[in-house]
Amino acid sequence: MLFSSIPFLYYFLPLILAIYFLVPKRGKNLVLLIASLFFYFYGEPVYVLLMIGACVSSYIHGLLIHRFRGKPLSKVFLWSSIITSLAMLGFFKYSDFFLENLNAISGLDLPLLGLALPIGISFYTFQTLSYTVDVYRGDAQVQKNFISLATYVALFPQLIAGPIVRYTTVEEDLSGRTHSVEKFSAGISRFLIGLGKKVLIANQLGELCDIFRRSSDQSVLFFWLYAIGFSLHIYFDFSGYSDMAIGLGKLFGFRFLENFNYPFISKSISEFWRRWHMSLGSWFRDYVYIPLGGNRVSKGKWLRNILIVWLLTGFWHGAAWNFIIWGLFFGFFLVLEKFFLGAWLKKLPAFLSHIYVLFLVMISFVIFNASSMGQAFSDIGGLFGSGGLPMVSREALYQLRSFGWILVLALIGATPIPKLIVGKIKSHTTGHKILNLLEPVFLAGLLLVVTAYLVDGSFNPFLYFRF
Amino acid sequence: MTDKIKHIAVMLTFLVLTGVISFFCLTQESTAVSDSERRPLAQMPEYSSDKLLSGNFFPAFESYTVDQFPLRDSFRNLKAFIHTNLLGRNDNNGYYEADGYLGKLDYPLNESSLSHVIDRMQFIRNKYFKDGNHKVFYSVIPDKNYFLADKRPVMDYEKLIQTMEANLNDMTYIDIFDTLTIEDYYKTDTHWRQEQLSDVVQTLGNAMGIGDQLSKNYTVKELYPFYGVYSGQSALPTKPESLYYLTNSVLENCTVYNTETGKTGSVYDLDRFESQDPYEIFLSGSQAILTIQNPANTSGKRLILFRDSFGSSLAPLLAEAYSEVVLVDIRYVSSAFLDRFIEFTGQEDVLFLYSTLVLNSSSTLK
Repeated sequence: MLFSSIPFLYYFLPLILAIYFLVPKRGKNLVLLIASLFFYFYGEPVYVLLMIGACVSSYIHGLLIHRFRGKPLSKVFLWSSIITSLAMLGFFKYSDFFLENLNAISGLDLPLLGLALPIGISFYTFQTLSYTVDVYRGDAQVQKNFISLATYVALFPQLIAGPIVRYTTVEEDLSGRTHSVEKFSAGISRFLIGLGKKVLIANQLGELCDIFRRSSDQSVLFFWLYAIGFSLHIYFDFSGYSDMAIGLGKLFGFRFLENFNYPFISKSISEFWRRWHMSLGSWFRDYVYIPLGGNRVSKGKWLRNILIVWLLTGFWHGAAWNFIIWGLFFGFFLVLEKFFLGAWLKKLPAFLSHIYVLFLVMISFVIFNASSMGQAFSDIGGLFGSGGLPMVSREALYQLRSFGWILVLALIGATPIPKLIVGKIKSHTTGHKILNLLEPVFLAGLLLVVTAYLVDGSFNPFLYFRF
Repeated sequence: MTDKIKHIAVMLTFLVLTGVISFFCLTQESTAVSDSERRPLAQMPEYSSDKLLSGNFFPAFESYTVDQFPLRDSFRNLKAFIHTNLLGRNDNNGYYEADGYLGKLDYPLNESSLSHVIDRMQFIRNKYFKDGNHKVFYSVIPDKNYFLADKRPVMDYEKLIQTMEANLNDMTYIDIFDTLTIEDYYKTDTHWRQEQLSDVVQTLGNAMGIGDQLSKNYTVKELYPFYGVYSGQSALPTKPESLYYLTNSVLENCTVYNTETGKTGSVYDLDRFESQDPYEIFLSGSQAILTIQNPANTSGKRLILFRDSFGSSLAPLLAEAYSEVVLVDIRYVSSAFLDRFIEFTGQEDVLFLYSTLVLNSSSTLK
């Protein structure tokens, strides 16, 4: 089920909120678990069993790791949990990729499995992994209540597109969270703003990208519109989802960590990755990079560690070579920045550093969104007029006019400018009062406008559902 | 307003708004058809465990919730307003307004669709009109985008005509592009205005050798209010306009026989003005095979007109020159079986008359 859908907004959510706040405290996790399983069942009737399997596996492994703490068996069960989770992810997500490449290398003709990717498997697998690893490390208490653990894994606000919530983040909330009007109100604000980002900006820019792909009237301008449009689209799509997840979490008393922090204002690629999909970056740092030795090893091993982390980051996003290249692309520039580029960037005027980041990020997303490496090269070539492309075309100019204002809104919205303006107004007593008065009106209007778009619109899934 | 009151206001606003809308979602009775969008609306899917487990139930349920949403038309209007006015989009789902006219983007030229039309026309020509003394003509009606093209992407009309001419060299092309302007079309509809077609009719008539037999004396009749098909589909704000039709004593005496239903009626079916598509007053709209019989013309001349809905308003204006005009819409009858329903004499004039809208989306032509 999509958050940005009529069934979610006007059937599922009101019903769950009503039941959740009516049942006593001890029953709330069970309500959330049942609601979350239904939420998943709605989109993936059969694969809900897979997710329940993941919950059972991590629950049992957690208990066993805890039971044999300090003994070799504890490590055995840790590895068993890691292998189980990765095998599940590998089988459903990567089988066909490996078979295709094996066929290509060996000349064999092994049949592909053609499995549908279970929605959100990359997210909940990483969550279950973090739980068992943290229990093994002693960073988290073992969860003896299956309902509580399954609620953590299946919790519908973050189930299918993150953020990747660590068990330690919600450990306390699972047993002793509180609810208040302030939290509820803040949750609604955050949820509706995320909904607006998704429906009013991300979906529009997604439409621009679709139009570009279908067009036979290509030009250099159109390629740039596409590249900029897609970069903003993926940001508003994914950060909008994260806002909604964080907001919904608040409604039910949970505190999820932030997942984005204005990544497009970064002055280096390493800063960009401290601001973009923060829950994934920190997951790889804590569960892959540091266990491999991080940067406290020889230069050769450090390069190996960087290579592994960014190869895996790319591969996590999708079972295709362009995702691997996308990850390594970032790895390459991160290494350059560590060696010498970082120092140079610090000496550059800020706007040049911004241009450097924005350009590389845009190129990376062109690679990311290509259906093959061939198309990636062709799209990058298009940005520079390869093949004698005209500079402008009639359709590109039309779409520039049609999407121009949305692009401007998106560019401003991707920076802290709106937040700074609101903060400035709030710093004055009168301004604060006026904003307080306007906020409910604005949010009600936003909900109605988003509803109007959903009523008129077509099915538009979130981009990150495919990961 | 203090922060505390604001939090309460935000919470209550959200709960009341979603609660009220949810209540109407659950209690409102389903509507079968959307008059504004002119399409059937999704209904609550029937439940079965197979449907549920195969993942087919909930997508159908989702369509139902969207189609049956309370005040659906008002929400669509709100969206169109925000889309075009606040977010600055040039069109709403491809529909746009220019100089008071509503249009729908239709580009690029769909070459495979055009090939399909050419294939069907060649097939009909070779199967029914190869032998005998036929004169076979074709003409193309530009859609409104042709006239509203300024700054908008449009199909390559020149290439469309060139492709047809290159492939249909045993038929005579009649160019009517220059006889039309945007004023000859309805503001809220796809179609042209019958009372504005004198130049088109004369150009066609001259090329077909019947120019001197066509009447210029008609009485213009007006029907109001007319909301064309784009009016509801675009959800953009529109004003009603008048629908006009031409009549005279010859047309009043003509009868129209519907081969499919076996019924005989008149050229104008004014009851249809109250239907979902008021343009269907012309020959009762889209029908597989119709025959206009003109008792005032005893020459025995016959015209076979292969047409889309644009032809419905044009055909009566050609009727005076013929004893019979047979209108064939191969969207509703297969071109392979026409001789089962129409007796060809070997002497007919033949005119293929299609709008660029159909040429660019011809998969329904059989």
